[in-house]
Order: sequence, then C-alpha cells, then structure tokens
Amino acid sequence: MMRKLFLLGTSLFWLLILTLWFQAGHAPPARTEVAMPVETTYTLAEVSQHSLESDCWMAIDGQVYDLTAYLPEHPSKPSIILPWCGQEASEAYRTKTKGRTHSPAADQLLLGYRIGPLQKDSR
Amino acid sequence: MNFLRTLSIPLLTAVLLGIPVIWAFPAELPAWRSLGIVLGWAGCGLLLASLLLMLRETWLAEWLGGLARMYAWHHVLGTVAYLILLAHPLALAADNLATSPVLAWALLSPSAQGWPLWSGWLALLCLMLGMASAFAKRLTYPVWRWLHGLLGVAILLGCLHLWLLGLGPTFFFVLLLSLLFIGWRLIRVDGSLAARPYLVSQVQKVAEGVVEISLRPLAAPISARAGQFVLVGFDDGGRFEGCGESHPFTLSAIDPDGHLRISVKALGDCTQHLQSVEIGVAARVQGGFGDFLIDRPGTAQIWLAGGIGITPFLAVLRDKPLTGPTTLIYLYRQDVDAAYVEELRTLAAGQPQLNLQLHRGESDAASLAAWLPEAAALVGQTAYLCGPPGLVRAAVRILGQRGMPSAHIHFEGFDFR
Repeated sequence: MMRKLFLLGTSLFWLLILTLWFQAGHAPPARTEVAMPVETTYTLAEVSQHSLESDCWMAIDGQVYDLTAYLPEHPSKPSIILPWCGQEASEAYRTKTKGRTHSPAADQLLLGYRIGPLQKDSR
Repeated sequence: MNFLRTLSIPLLTAVLLGIPVIWAFPAELPAWRSLGIVLGWAGCGLLLASLLLMLRETWLAEWLGGLARMYAWHHVLGTVAYLILLAHPLALAADNLATSPVLAWALLSPSAQGWPLWSGWLALLCLMLGMASAFAKRLTYPVWRWLHGLLGVAILLGCLHLWLLGLGPTFFFVLLLSLLFIGWRLIRVDGSLAARPYLVSQVQKVAEGVVEISLRPLAAPISARAGQFVLVGFDDGGRFEGCGESHPFTLSAIDPDGHLRISVKALGDCTQHLQSVEIGVAARVQGGFGDFLIDRPGTAQIWLAGGIGITPFLAVLRDKPLTGPTTLIYLYRQDVDAAYVEELRTLAAGQPQLNLQLHRGESDAASLAAWLPEAAALVGQTAYLCGPPGLVRAAVRILGQRGMPSAHIHFEGFDFR
C-alpha cells in the first residue's frame, strides 16, 4: 500500500513538474499577452490610499504588493519599512536605502504578496 | 494495549504537526499559496514525528506501545510526509499558474531563485532517494542503511531551505528537534550507547543453519522477560569479524544468572556469518522489547510456531511451568530444520498443561487449516502466532474465519527497516 502510494505520488509529481516546465518553455508569447489584461491593474494613486501599517501596499518594479500581512515578519525595525507603505518603493527595495540588495529569498517571498501590475502610465 | 498507549503516537504526531502549522499559519494570502505553506510545515511536522519513532529506547517503546508499532507508524508517517512535501512546491506554483505558466515555473526554478530553492530541491531529491531505498526490499542491509541515511541529509537540507528563506522561529523549532532526534539515534542507538556489554559464552548448533548463542553480561544485565526480543550487535573477536550492525533476535532463554540465549537462523548475510561466531566475542545488547506472550490470560491458549518462530514459546516454557491449558503446534519443513524438538518433548512430558503437536512438511493453507483446531474448539481460546509472515497471515485468516475475535489473536512483526 505505502509502496504503491510512493510510486504513484512520485510519478504524478514528476509528470506535473515536467508539464509545467514544458508549458513555461513553450507558452506562445501572444497567449501571455492575452492573459495579462485579465488582471486588475492599479495606479499609484490607488496604491497611495493604502499607506497604513494596517493596510500597506507598495509598488515595486512595476508590480503592486499588499504587504500588510508581512509587516510583522519583516526583519528590520518598523520605522524602516512603514514609511514606504502607499509609495513607489522600487529603489528602496533594490538598495534597502543603504546600497544593499534584498536576497533571492526575499524576492521569492515578495512574489507571494503580489496583487497585480502597476498601471503603466501611472508610474 | 491500554488507552493511553493507543493514543500516545497519534497525540505526539498531532503535537509535532500542529506546532509548526499553527505557528506559521499564513494570514490573508491567496488560497493556493496558503495551502503550499501549510503543506510545507505539515510535512516538516510529520517528518519530525517519523524521526522520533525510529529511536529504539526500551522506555520509549514501552510508552508508545512497542517497537513494532513504532516502526509501523514510522513507515506510514514518513510516506505521508513525503507525499505532502511533494505537493508543497506544486501548490505554491499553482498560485501563479492562473497568471502565467512562466511565473509559476519561475517560482520552482532554482536557477531563477538561487540557493533557497536549490536547498529545497536537493532536500526533496534526497528524500525521494531515501524513500525509494525504503521500498527496495532487494537491497542488502548495508546498502539500504546508507541510502536510508539520505533521509537524515534531506531533513538537514530542508532546515537549510527554511533558514535561507528567512523563516525565523519555526525554523529553529524544526532544526533543534531534527538535530536532537538524529543525534540521539546516531549516538544512543547506532553508537550503542543505549546497549549493555555482553560476551559470547557458548555457541551450540540446534538445527541445520540455526545456532543458539549464549551471552554472558559484563555489567548489569538488561531487563527482559520471556517472549521479548533484543537488539544484538556482535563485535570483532578472535577470527570472527562482526557485521557492524544490530539485528533483532527473540530470546530463547533468560537464565537465572543473567545469561541470555538467542537462536540465530541463517536468513541473510549477517545471520549466515553469525553461524561461525566464536566464544569470547563481545556483543552489545539492547532491550527487551515487545509484549508478545507477556500478559497471557489464564484461559486456554493455542500457540502456533513456524520454524525459528519456536523461540519465544521455548523461552516461556523454559522460564516457568504453564498456568493454563496450552496447545503448542510446531511446524517445520524437515527433521534437520526442527530445532529443540527433543527438549520440547521433555518439557511436554513434565508439563501436563502442555499439549505438544509436531507437524513436518510444507505449511500451505490446506495443511494449516487441517492442523488448526475447528471453530467449536477455539471458543474462549487465545492464539499466539510466530513464524514467517506468510504463515502468520494465513493462520490469522483461518482463525478469523473460524470465529476467533481479532483481539484474541496475537503476533509480532519484525519489519524494522
């Protein structure tokens, strides 16, 4: 029973991983472009309405992130990150305001809080 | 098994699963991402529970309902943890799949995400190889053991994955418990710190490919009872080279002076090698484990022994006279395989409560059905079975068909891989 579950689970896992890899590598550009407009886009004006610790959005590199849930987890003091709520924070994110970049782990974490793209003409 | 022992492993599992999941439960994240995070922590918790169950300590085994039960749960929890951890990255990727397969793949691609993901992938691959070895029954024990050790490496790589992702306090909880359980296993069990020193004092051939080895304690003897089994590792000595591994052996006698006797049948490389063990070889003994034949009822009993499965019954008969009517059915293939037959006849002659039945030949289902008592004779009896797994399975089926409640049928497994 356990052996069958192992074989089934492992086969299914690699099948899904390979399917995803294939889809990502062979996705026609047109299809991606068609899919993108479905997402809600946000303007900087909208982002600026979420500038509180209890409701904190940021625009970073053309994407909008709702970081409210993440704020208590952020390693730095609140005074470092809170002023960027409701702001275009790309430069601050890239340099940590001290010329140091965030880690790839932080980039990955950030992906989880993305709510949509920033409207191009609002940048 | 009492109620608390029955609940012990599920409760421990619930605690080790619940702490990381509740501690790190995501708030206000998309459904797939939340699921991915919960699956990751749930897999960690189940792996910790599985690690705890591979600790062969007598007090822990007694508390958790026996070593055989611990290993059965160890296998199930390890497999479930593995399947959950496979689903963890897939659920995280599914969160981005609605946006774009490219974005979904970017979340899984170590080349895009660096060491936080490389460590996660390496952990998963080590887990996969370690699990594959667990299910590969044809591997020799030493090869299996090294490959199974990859599961420990997988857990440490998993901890590195958590650390590189910056997942603070919950990471320390998983790391500390992992190091504690793995270190405990390596030092106390594999390093034999939990074992007592003995010396081979006598070796006697009792059947073709079966030797009875007497072990003299060099310090305080272990605490064991007739019917239990011990883990024994033999060291080098004289011309004999130890196998470098411990094996479970049922005790065939516990002598009043603290000497232990085990019967070793040549079933694998190490047990074949042990047929030539010499007097004076040092051994490390841990136990006793198990509750087979320990709390027997005062009512009539039927004992079924297949081949070397005679040893626990022999230990009980050598220990003290029976207190209730007992039928011992001993099955063996040929006369040369029949260990202890003369001694059993002598014991039966001196014990009116013992009805000894010897059967030579192949123990197929039809023969077994003929040798076991009919339904009417089984009423009120309790059965104890010890022998090859196929024989035990067939006997359980026949006794069940003849109306014996499963609570009255006792047997013990030795699947400690």
